[in-house]
Amino acid sequence: MKLKRYLTLTRAGIIESLQFRLSAFIMVLGNLLYLIVVYFLWRSIYDSAGTDAVGGMTFTDTLIYLVLATALFGFMEMYAVWEIGRSIQSGQIVLDLLKPIPYRRYLFWSYSGSFVTQFCFTFLPTFLVVALVTHGAIHFGLNLLFFVVSVVLAVSINYSIDFLVGTICLYTESIWGINIMKQVIVLLLSGATIPLAFFPAALRQVVNCLPFASIYNAPLTLLLEPRPEPRMVLETLGMQLLWAVVMNILSKGFWRISLRQITVNGG
Amino acid sequence: MEHRSLRFYLRIYGRILAQDLKSKMSYRADFIISTIGMLFTNIAGFISFWILFGSFPSIGGWRYEEILFLYGFSLVSLTPVQCLFDNNWNLRSSVYSGDFIKYCFRPINLFFYYQSEVFDIKGLGQLAFGIGTLCYAWGKLGIAVTVLSVLRTIIFLCTASLIMVALQNAAAATCFWIQNSFYVLDFVTRFKDYARYPVTIFSPVFRFLFTFVMPIAFIAYYPSLVILRPDEVPLLSWLSPLFGIVFFYLSYRFWMFGAMRYSGTGS
Repeated sequence: MKLKRYLTLTRAGIIESLQFRLSAFIMVLGNLLYLIVVYFLWRSIYDSAGTDAVGGMTFTDTLIYLVLATALFGFMEMYAVWEIGRSIQSGQIVLDLLKPIPYRRYLFWSYSGSFVTQFCFTFLPTFLVVALVTHGAIHFGLNLLFFVVSVVLAVSINYSIDFLVGTICLYTESIWGINIMKQVIVLLLSGATIPLAFFPAALRQVVNCLPFASIYNAPLTLLLEPRPEPRMVLETLGMQLLWAVVMNILSKGFWRISLRQITVNGG
Repeated sequence: MEHRSLRFYLRIYGRILAQDLKSKMSYRADFIISTIGMLFTNIAGFISFWILFGSFPSIGGWRYEEILFLYGFSLVSLTPVQCLFDNNWNLRSSVYSGDFIKYCFRPINLFFYYQSEVFDIKGLGQLAFGIGTLCYAWGKLGIAVTVLSVLRTIIFLCTASLIMVALQNAAAATCFWIQNSFYVLDFVTRFKDYARYPVTIFSPVFRFLFTFVMPIAFIAYYPSLVILRPDEVPLLSWLSPLFGIVFFYLSYRFWMFGAMRYSGTGS
């Protein structure tokens, strides 16, 4: 009964996102262009390196890693900071807070429809194309299962971070600046721009202590490992689970404290 | 529409600019956060090159300093589009809501009036960072500082700016025909991220595409060749100022053509 309530929001989201077909087409075109740039960029980088593997990653590994990172970004990015920021500025947030669903959950589920469409129309095709083009560089086995579990945890961590940063908008009334800072930090430190394997050792140690590596690096590393050791899998997933719980508590707590501060102009 | 002198337009621009800055200054926190956010994206680009060149010697035969030169060059040349033409991002919503009609009733050039309304100060942070990067790379590469080389740099920076401005104008103007032009604008804006790589890394087909169909290569690559590799400057580099002016003029005509078609929303 309770789930049905949320699934209604999912359904509405699916229908809404199917409305904008032209924009979806342009987005696919944009991603395609990006993939082309990434391919040639790393091809020439590896060509000038002269060796097959750098930092334990071959050209194919790097390509799969970066392409899937982009695809993951496509469906994990929820623009929650924008949603929260806008509804604070317009006063809409008052209506959302009055709904019989906690705001944090409402926002998540009303976006979940786009999850479904993005997953089916962006991620899945990209994944299949990559798997075909690289001639079985992606191993089809247990690692797929670990990947799925890992992605679910990553979505949760990413949403908590988004929500946490969005809550800051209650204080600053700046959306663009806050959002761009978050995006830059997450994309760089999670390995979505450059795989963490290429980071200098000292920097990698720092990054491993932060939650961002659990968003992109963890699922992609699990996917690219054809014969994962149980210890490594447990460590990665455990770390993710830990961060998911920690970030969840942090973002919920911060929201609760901030709500007392809220001032709404009009609405 | 009667033609007025350049001095008249400069005076008007000063007046409008002053008003815009006053209204921006009433949101001081937003201004500061946005400027920092902008710097974050620039620094992140810098860091990713630094990480990359820690593991790899070159990108298709281009050294670290040369790539930094391209990066700095693209940042500086992107400043005008960021600072002076930022109102293009609002065009879609003002056309949609009907507010655009107010610009049509002013006795000055429509395009000028619309663009002059917003001056995006946070672009100045990017300008400073870009000049810093450019000077650093210039010094490291040991390029002689002569009147001619500085003059060339300035002329070719203007060229690159004109091309990016032209691309953005054209992208924004699509909203006179299609509803959601955000994705077109976003698509074109992502070009600037690809402008920082030398076009030689691409295969001939894409080199052609990025030169003549989507002129990304003119934003940094062809203009910088004049400074970076003065012995092997292709004809295209020398022609790029001409291309810049032609592209800009065409985009202006396209923008005005769309605006003249605009019939308001009836409100």
